[in-house]
Formats: sequence, C-alpha cells, structure tokens
Amino acid sequence: MVHEGLLQGRGVKVDLSLYSTEDCITKSVGAVEARTPPDLGYCTTYDFRTTGKWAIEGRLENLSDIINPMKSAFVPDALETTLLFGPDGKKAYYAMPIQRQTMHMNYWRDMLADAGFKESDIPETWAENWYFWCDKVQPALRAKGQRIFGIGHPLGVAASDTFYSFLMTAAAYEVKVVDDNGKIVLGEAKNRAAMVEALRFYTSIFAKGCTPPSSVNWLDPDNNVAFHGKQTVMTHNATISIAGKHLDDSNNASLTAEQRAQAKKNYEELIVTRKWPKGPKGNVIPNLAATKTAVIFADGKNKRRAREFMTFLMQEDSIRAFTEGSAGRWYPVTVESTKSPFWQADIHRRTVHQQFSEGTVPFDFVYNWKFTAVNAENVWAKAMQRVIQDKVTPEVAVDEMVKRITEIAG
Amino acid sequence: MNSRRIREDVRLFLVAIPVLLWTLIPIYHLFILSISNEKAMLAGKFWPDEPTLQNYRIVLNQQHYYLNNFWLQLFNSFLVAAAVGVITLFVATLAAFSISRLRTPGGRTIMNLALATYLIPAAFLAVPMYKAMGSYGMLNSKWALILAMVALASPYAIWVLKQASDKLPAELDEAAVIDGASPLQIFRLVYLPLMAPSMVAIGVYALLLAWNEYLYAFLLLSNEKQLTLAVALGQFLGADDSPWNILMATGMIYALPPMVIYYTFRKYMVSGLTAGAVKS
Amino acid sequence: MTAATASFDMANRTPARRWFDDPMKLWGILMLIPYALVFLVLVTYPVAYGLYLGLKPQSYVELFRDPAFAVAAWNTVLFLVIAVNLKFLMALALSGFFMAQRGWVKAILVIFLLPWAMPSIPTILSVRFLLNPEWGLVNAQLFKWFQIDGPNWLNDPQIAFGAAIFMHIWKSLPFWTLILITGRMAISKDLYEAADVDGASRWQQFRFITWPSLAALYVTSTILSIIWTLGDFNSVYLLTGGGPGDRTHVLATLGIRYLRIDKLDLGIAAIITAMPFVLPLVFVMVKRLSRGPQDD
Repeated sequence: MVHEGLLQGRGVKVDLSLYSTEDCITKSVGAVEARTPPDLGYCTTYDFRTTGKWAIEGRLENLSDIINPMKSAFVPDALETTLLFGPDGKKAYYAMPIQRQTMHMNYWRDMLADAGFKESDIPETWAENWYFWCDKVQPALRAKGQRIFGIGHPLGVAASDTFYSFLMTAAAYEVKVVDDNGKIVLGEAKNRAAMVEALRFYTSIFAKGCTPPSSVNWLDPDNNVAFHGKQTVMTHNATISIAGKHLDDSNNASLTAEQRAQAKKNYEELIVTRKWPKGPKGNVIPNLAATKTAVIFADGKNKRRAREFMTFLMQEDSIRAFTEGSAGRWYPVTVESTKSPFWQADIHRRTVHQQFSEGTVPFDFVYNWKFTAVNAENVWAKAMQRVIQDKVTPEVAVDEMVKRITEIAG
Repeated sequence: MNSRRIREDVRLFLVAIPVLLWTLIPIYHLFILSISNEKAMLAGKFWPDEPTLQNYRIVLNQQHYYLNNFWLQLFNSFLVAAAVGVITLFVATLAAFSISRLRTPGGRTIMNLALATYLIPAAFLAVPMYKAMGSYGMLNSKWALILAMVALASPYAIWVLKQASDKLPAELDEAAVIDGASPLQIFRLVYLPLMAPSMVAIGVYALLLAWNEYLYAFLLLSNEKQLTLAVALGQFLGADDSPWNILMATGMIYALPPMVIYYTFRKYMVSGLTAGAVKS
Repeated sequence: MTAATASFDMANRTPARRWFDDPMKLWGILMLIPYALVFLVLVTYPVAYGLYLGLKPQSYVELFRDPAFAVAAWNTVLFLVIAVNLKFLMALALSGFFMAQRGWVKAILVIFLLPWAMPSIPTILSVRFLLNPEWGLVNAQLFKWFQIDGPNWLNDPQIAFGAAIFMHIWKSLPFWTLILITGRMAISKDLYEAADVDGASRWQQFRFITWPSLAALYVTSTILSIIWTLGDFNSVYLLTGGGPGDRTHVLATLGIRYLRIDKLDLGIAAIITAMPFVLPLVFVMVKRLSRGPQDD
C-alpha cells in the first residue's frame, strides 16, 4: 500500500508491481536467478528468507554510502540487522531497513465478556495465560452452543506466522539456537531440553483441541481470518494487521455505513492488542523483532535511479508517510518516526510503541544467514507436524530438528 | 411394458440424483459464497442470510486492493486466450496439412515428437519453461505465456487436425491437382472449408486451455498489469483478510466466458475433440 | 486409401527435380516450419536447459534426503492407481446411464459437463472453503445438527489426499464419460435388440456386446489418463497446497514447492527422477496414437 504521492512529481516513471507476501518472494527469487531483477525490491519476507543469502552471493548492491551519512537517524536495533556479510567476506550494509514488526496477542473483549470473564481475570503467568483461553474461555462459550476455539494458533508449514510465534515461544523458554558468532548451540543439553519443552508446549495447544483443527495447514492470513470471523477468541500475530483490517474497513467506501460502523467499533472497543505474558520461569520474554528490508539488486538495470529513489524514500517525511500509511501494521526504523503522535493515537499503536520501546532482539538469521534456509524450509513447523501428525515425542522431533538445522546451517 | 418403463425411470432417477449432487455442489457453493457478506460467508449455511450483490459491485468497480486492475486483467485473459487460439490454429493447421495431405518427408517424425511433448505432463515442463523464458529475457511479458501455451496446445491440435484430415478422401486433392491447382490453392479452396468444423473445435480448445491456465501464468507473469485473471484469483489466497466472498464473485465472473464459449460450440467440441481419442 | 494417395503422389513427382522445384515438397516443408520453430524454441531448448540444470549430483543427494520427496513419490503412485481406476469405473457406469433414451437424461448430461467447461480455480477453491473445518458449510452443518466437530478434512493428510483425488475426478470425469459415450454410440443397436430377443440379461449384454467393443478404447483412454493425471497440478495445489506439512504433494506440485523454498534445482531433479517411469508410457502412447486410421 504505497502512497501514490510518494511516486509522483519526481519526473521518473516508476513501474510498480505488488504481490501477495508469498508470491513476492517467489517472483523475486525467480527474477534474481534469471538475472532480470527489478531495480529495487521490497517484500516483507526478504529478511526471513533471502536478504542474508543474496548479500553473501553478491546479488545485492552495497548501500553503505546511503546509510552511513544518516546512520544516527536509525534505531540501532533495526539498523544492525542489515549489516551483512558480502561476497568478499566483509560486513557492510547490503539492505535498507524499512519497517519493523514484533509479536502481539489479540483478543475479542466482547467474547471474553460473553464467556463470563473480566479482563482482569487473564493471568499474566505463562501456561496459565495460554490455558486460560483453552480451559476457561473455550468451554464457557461452547456451553452456550457456539463453535468457538480459544486460540488461533498457527502451525502450518507454509506460514511465517508459525515460525515467528514458535521462535517467540522458544525465546520464552530461553532457548538459544545460535550464539552471537552464528555457531549452532541448539544441540547443547540445556538448549535442547528447553527446546523440547517449547515444542511440547506449543503443540499442546493443538492437543487440547484449543486451536481450530485447520491450523495445522494455515497460511499466513488464516489466523487473521479465523479471528475476524470470531471463531477464535485470541490469536497471536506479528504486527497489528488484525486490528488494522478493521480500521481499514471503517474507512472503506465500498462497504455499507453499517459495516463501517461495526468495523470502527471493532477497532476502537472490541479488539484488544496486548503483549505476551511472562515466560515459564516468570522471566520477561524479549520482543522478537524483525526488520523488513528493501534491496537494490546488483543485476538491476537502473542502479543509479534506484539509489536515488532509495535515498528519497529514506528521507524522514517519505519513510514516515510510507510506514504510517499501513495503519500501524509496521513500526518505523527511524528514531524520529517512532516519536510521531501517530503511535499514541490508540490502544493498539500504544501497545506496539511500548513493546518496541522496551527493546527488541533479532532473529537468528542475523547471526547466521543460513537460517534463512532453515526458515524457508520451516524446520520448526516440520517438528510440530512430527509431533501432531506422526505422534512422535517432542524429544525425537527436536533431535531431528537439530540434525536438519545442522545439515542446512552448520 | 409400461411398468417396465416406469421401473427403468425409477432406476435412472436413482442414478440421476447423486450425479446432479456430485456435479452441482461445488458450483452451488461457489455461487452462494459469491452472494454472501463477510459474516454469512463464515456461517456455513445452505443459503446466506441477507444475500447481497455487494461483492460483485466491489469487483466490477475494482474496489478491493487485489482487484485494482480487474478489468485490465480480464482483458489480458481475453487477449492471451485469443492469441493462443489464433496462433495455435495457424501453426497446427499448416502442420496437419503438410503431414497429412502433402505427406512431407519427416512429417511423421515431427508428429511423433509433438505427441511426445503433449504426453509429458505440462506441470513437469513448467519449471524448465520458466527457466528458459528467463534466459530469453521474456519473463513478465504476456508473450511468454502466449508462446508457452501455444507450445502446450499445438501438439494435440496438430494430432486432431491430422486425424480429421486423414479422413478426407484423397480424390479431392487428386481432382484439384489434375485441374492444375497449386498446394496453396488446395489448402485454401479444398482443405480449409472441409476442415472448418475441426478447426473450430481446436481453436476453442486452445482458447479455453489458455483462459483456464493457472500454473504457467503464475510462473511467467509478474507485473500486476500483465497478470491474467487466473493469477489474480490465486493472489487472494495470500490476502491479509482473505475476502473469500469477493474471491468467489470474481471466480464466477471468470468462469462465465469459458462456459458461454463452451456451450455455444459444444457440438463441435464433443465431436471434434473426442474424434481423436475415439478413432478406430 | 493408402494406394490412392501413393499413386497421387507418384503422378506429381518427377524424380529428376530437386525438392525446392517440387511445389508439394516445398510447401510441405514451409508449412512445417512454424511448428518446428515452436518445438525448437519452446520445447527442445527448455528441456535441454532443464537437463543441464539437472546434472548436479548434489541435487539428487539433497533430493533423496528430503522426506517430502519420498512422500510425494508414493503419493503420486497412489493418486494414479486410485484416481484413474475410480474415474474410469465411474465413467463406464455413467456412460451407460447417459445412453438412456430419455430427454431429461440428455438434459442432465448438459449439466454434468459443467465441471469440464468451468475453469479449475474457482471450483477447487470453492471446495477448499466448503471443507474448511471451522467455517466451511459441511462442518458447520454437522455442528448445527449433531453438535460434533466434523472431520478435519483438508488438514488431515489422508482425508486431504482423498479430497484431492475427488477433485481430480470431479474435474475430469465428464470428459472421459463423453469419450465412452461416443464409444458406446458406435455399437450397433441391432446387437442389443437381437440380445433382447434372445432374453440376454443386462449383465450378459454388457459382458458380451458392450465390453468387447469398448475394451480397446478403454485401455487407450486409461493410459492417456494416467499421463494426464500425473500432470494434474491444480487439484492438489489449489485444494491442499501440498499440506498439511507437505504430506499431500505429488510430483506435479513438488517442483513448485521447491521453487517456493528457493531450491529450483531440486525441483528439476525430482522431475528427471520421474522420467524413467513416464517415458515408457509416453513411448507406448505415441505408438498407439500415431497410427493413422488406416492402420486399424
């Protein structure tokens, strides 16, 4: 949802292609392989899947000359994720931080009330919080004859939601997968044991019948859809796109006045965005954040123009307009933008702002780029499927996970 | 005799009901989703509460994020389908005439190669075709899709036309040759008129093949202004709020042209296309 | 006919003339050029390029290490055996039904052809939604009437795979039924009338009149259908996406799966691995199909 205004009045014709998230990555990879990439690329899954790999393969332009002069404008947490190994083995800025996301929980306030609970009833401790939705809210609503699931819990292999939520769970259990040098330490007894617990817990939501059966095959939108349809009371999602959809609807001229009013009420009153509870040991779970990256391709045809455009895009006014144009779904990478009143405008945005202000931790692929391949294959979701479909123990599934990760990224 | 006919009718009726249910359930479901609002879509009823044409309005006015280029994409689908129909017909008619009537040496070999292409599953050729189009620098051009579909459609087209052409009596050409007609004249004056019904079938076959194609269109086209409607439909699967009711309304519109074409030319299609498989 | 054509060729060919002086040959070759070009540019080159890409032994090592490949290979075999046989038994039975001399049966035939006439995407996605365990119509009604959570349909590997087979049959059944109807129509009515007079049962009529006439067609169609079924991408991809957990992939969708996880080489390797099984079938079919009518 790029602001049209951004692209106008520059005397340069911009040819813009928009894709769904999954197609975006496939198309980009195809174009890069065929050596016919666009001048500038931006998919919200580049960072998970390809940026690090492309940098080391020499597919990307070094953007240090654009970034260095404006270094102080960036939030350091965000900028450090784009300092990547290049083909020469040296680190440089091969990608531009654009927007950030972290993990939240959403629930329906009215459904909670319908189940006979107050918001203060929601426990702030780990298992109690999750199982509250499963063991308290779900049975209460089912007793009223509604076909409701307590949690919308992504388990699908083809969804990035799955590994995002799972890695957040792993972080809650204080699992370390790689060290700061990118060496895999998941095989160490302590980490392995913690990973087993994380996997056991994450899959237990399914075993309890607390998440829709179809969640084992969900794509990224599906937990949103189930939540919008009020089939789940709570779901966890990176970005506040769930609430954002209702904000969009409340301004959507193609809907009826009644539909718009309902959407407005959903956004302002009924949907709550909150952070995750405390971890299993009472620990504070770090906010696992991802920084979305735009890149200029080494094989692009108009690299000079692309650099100009990138420089222009990164001016405070443009990048702020671009980020805020997504209704709070994406959090800024520049210090100045994070101070914008936009982030104080409502409860959802305030929660996002609060979480980012507490500080964030990056994904493992920042330390070891081969983890982009681990994520592409979604080794994490495979392990869940082993437990859920094949009924192997979490111990066995984690051993397989360690083996596969070592094969891919060792 | 009469009671036997009634028993026969009852028996036929008992088959007819499951056949109709089997055929119509997916289509009926498609239809009711397309007239459901967001709430009704998720309610899982046999008939939606407050059926609405809102989804169709959103599609036709291009009011959804994924439908910003609906009319253009519909036009692209028409363009690609028509181009594939015409080019396939051109390539295949010439080839069939050459192989079947002129008995060009090597024609049989080409025929067999073509058949082999036809028989290797298209999904298997998709990835190599994608790479090849990349190296031709044609990715993201409608021509990549058009040419790929011509390559997929023409083997069967040549084969069917050759079968039909073999059935024309040889005396026709003979008489024409004795009258001093050139091969081109035979082609134009004798061959084309006689082959017209089969050519209609093949043109429609190629056209529908291209209209319905998803996999190749998805791989070969990227720019949203170049996409055909089939790919645009697939994109809905990744939409953040997955408006399946709007998707289904788009799907209904997308399904309409091929159905109209198909039922208009049904007579030709059935005899033309099945003649091949049912020879002997 | 063959003799007639031969003499007609002879009449117009003087051995001394070179090929470009002979208008028949000249035009014959010119008219083959468009397809020859299509074949070279759009078939030979891609296939050769694919083979070249498939030369890396490392791809095969990785492929065979990937559990999804073994699953897809086995699924493909199952899909073929079940879908093709089931489809043809149904087509055989239904072609008999549609032979009934009733106006309303003919009308049903027109409706029955709908799945063939409609594009795959909307109808397959419709079934995908229909079977969604939470908001799909089927489970919603099951819950409404019996207060039970229905099957997990597309998220249970076995059911999902069965549903993909159903989808495939749904889409291709009309075509094969039509083919068998055409085959049945070629059988002389007199045979059945004579059998009626002799008091032959329905089964006997099928066994001794219908089947012998249809057998050759049935076999040809089956082989053709095996090859096409092998290439059915839509039924699996659009219905289950290969999920849950990559359990319902077949070879036709595996290539795209590898493309999606940025491992194109493995996709090509998977297809090349399947070739030893596909090519003999293709060879047999080319031989069967390329025989002209005069050879039968």
